[in-house]
Amino acid sequence: MTTTAQGKRQGRPVRRPGGPPGWLQRWLPTWLSKRSLVAFVVAFALLYAAPLVLPLGDYLHNLMGLTFMFMAAGLAWNWLGGYVGQISFGHAAMFGTGGFVAARLAVTFGLPFWATWLIGGLAAGLYGLLWGHPTLRLRGPYFSIATIGVGEATRLVATYWTDFTGGSSGLSLPIGGGPTKFQLYWYGLYLLAAAVAISYGLRKSRIGLGLLAIKEDVEAASDVGVNPTFYQDLVLFLSGTVVGICGGFYASYQAFIDPLDMFSFDRSISFVLIGVIGGIGTILGPAMGAIVFVVIQEFLLASYPQLYLGLYGVLLIVVILFEPLGLSGLLMRLGRRLGIRPSVSAAAGGLGSASAAPDQPTGPTGHGSPEGKREKADEAGEKAGKG
Amino acid sequence: MGQVLPLAVSAVLLAGFYASMAYGLGLIYGVLRVVNLAHGGMIMASAYLSWVLFTRFHIDPYLSIPIVMVVFFFVGVAMYRGLVRFLPRGAAGGVQSLLLLFGVWLVIRNLAYLLFTGDDQAVRTSYSTASISIFGSSYSVNRVAVFVISVVAVVLLQLWLSRTYTGKAVRGVTENSDSSTLVGIDVERVYAITFGVGTALAGLAGVLASTLFAFNPSFGAGELLKSFVIIVLGGLGSVVGIAVGALVLAFAEVFAIYVVPSYLTAAVGFVLLVVVLIVRPGGLFGSKVLR
Repeated sequence: MTTTAQGKRQGRPVRRPGGPPGWLQRWLPTWLSKRSLVAFVVAFALLYAAPLVLPLGDYLHNLMGLTFMFMAAGLAWNWLGGYVGQISFGHAAMFGTGGFVAARLAVTFGLPFWATWLIGGLAAGLYGLLWGHPTLRLRGPYFSIATIGVGEATRLVATYWTDFTGGSSGLSLPIGGGPTKFQLYWYGLYLLAAAVAISYGLRKSRIGLGLLAIKEDVEAASDVGVNPTFYQDLVLFLSGTVVGICGGFYASYQAFIDPLDMFSFDRSISFVLIGVIGGIGTILGPAMGAIVFVVIQEFLLASYPQLYLGLYGVLLIVVILFEPLGLSGLLMRLGRRLGIRPSVSAAAGGLGSASAAPDQPTGPTGHGSPEGKREKADEAGEKAGKG
Repeated sequence: MGQVLPLAVSAVLLAGFYASMAYGLGLIYGVLRVVNLAHGGMIMASAYLSWVLFTRFHIDPYLSIPIVMVVFFFVGVAMYRGLVRFLPRGAAGGVQSLLLLFGVWLVIRNLAYLLFTGDDQAVRTSYSTASISIFGSSYSVNRVAVFVISVVAVVLLQLWLSRTYTGKAVRGVTENSDSSTLVGIDVERVYAITFGVGTALAGLAGVLASTLFAFNPSFGAGELLKSFVIIVLGGLGSVVGIAVGALVLAFAEVFAIYVVPSYLTAAVGFVLLVVVLIVRPGGLFGSKVLR
């Protein structure tokens, strides 16, 4: 029983006795736990130093850089899909916008790469606001289908707007202008670190509670003073900006981009998959989902490229039917088996998802669903057996 | 402006097809509160089934409609019993059913790629190029036939819903599933039948689409979006609503060629959707669709 009680408490921003020391407490927000901060710094340092110490080899090194980007994009998708419960099938629109604005700025104006990424990201965020502000008043499936429309419309415009995107022949970035693939590893890591920090902040802070309220019941949330329009717009803007920066990163990584790839429906699907496989609505789940996604893409689909859609589809079906919280859910289950307290189950940055799990509403399995109840019953049974 | 009348007739013909396409999605959502994201995939799959029946067995696409609809009815029932049944419904289960059915769509698309490759296919019958004259302009026979069949199908469906016991049970469950249980309706059975009928309608739309358009395994995303726009525009539960929604969308798309380049007509539905949502968040008829 202690597990549940502690888990519940952690979901809320209470000042814990073991919080940061005095000098830190003055400027650190109360919802930031010391353990998470330490884990975050340690994980960052380890990943930062890893290529300098370990003989990773070019292939793995570059692949890890790309994985960091997918992690960041998956996390950003999850802010909207998991925290607010608005599943977007159109995030490729922002990914492509960020990528092409960045590439165009680099090609035409020769701006430094970091500036092109930031401007591209902002442009993507603003573009997200442009279509998101009217459509976010839709809930659930309606929003999701509208995002399919956004993605398709954006893809069409981008493909035919040859002056800007180069049409189906795409854009090549100037050689030697940006960082090399080798350097991109660290830029990917910074991107990931920022995304993890925002994820944690969005989840644990007051904003996170507002988002949770919106996810549970929009009308009730607005009754208690949470402005759904403002919060959802804010999250979409943040999500779009980060995904846009990821697009810029991807453009630098590939050195060539074309609208058919950047804006494709498959691209949108990949963000959904990363989120769902890792654990929708959790803090670090999508980071794990990105690893699975990249591994599948690099090792399995390199040999069977004709199977990728079906494989993704089967993964989605299996995850939704058997473990709606994805890998995070699996880890938590494993943790319970081994008698580990949920909140220490991950090394990188403290798997905040674990603390969110015991009170089910954070997961896609909401209140009152038969699945959720059955799971809870199982949990209770296990605990009784142990205690 | 002499183009207006032919374009209007063209829009009406298109609207018939759109109505039959949207009805399946609307029916399933109305009864089960589940948006069948696999709807577009079903349309694509049935277009291929009609193509196979035509090229292999030389069955005319219009004659294959009953076969395809029966097959897809059972596909729908199987999907309900095998997958959808296990999902939580309503607001809590929205995200899950959405993602699951999206997964089903991806699997269908992949199967189609494996079986038929990504090439464009079309059903070309001996009368594909024949045309018929309406108000002095000629239209392809296929388009007129598709319109007539769609209208007949939608009317038959409405009769089924209003006259038969099963149809009334479906409407009862739509209104209130708990009370339906109290008066002795087997709600699970109604759900399965509804999913079957909705899928069979997607099958019908697919056969009709196969006579009008070229298709490949990616076909269906646009159809899903359009069906959805029609439901939002017209609301659920009435033939009139679906018909008005289909007409509005068809007219908007057809007359958009005056304003936007032709490659953008695919985006018209989406723009229309956003405009309606801003102006009338509840849909044109203030329907209960959005909640």
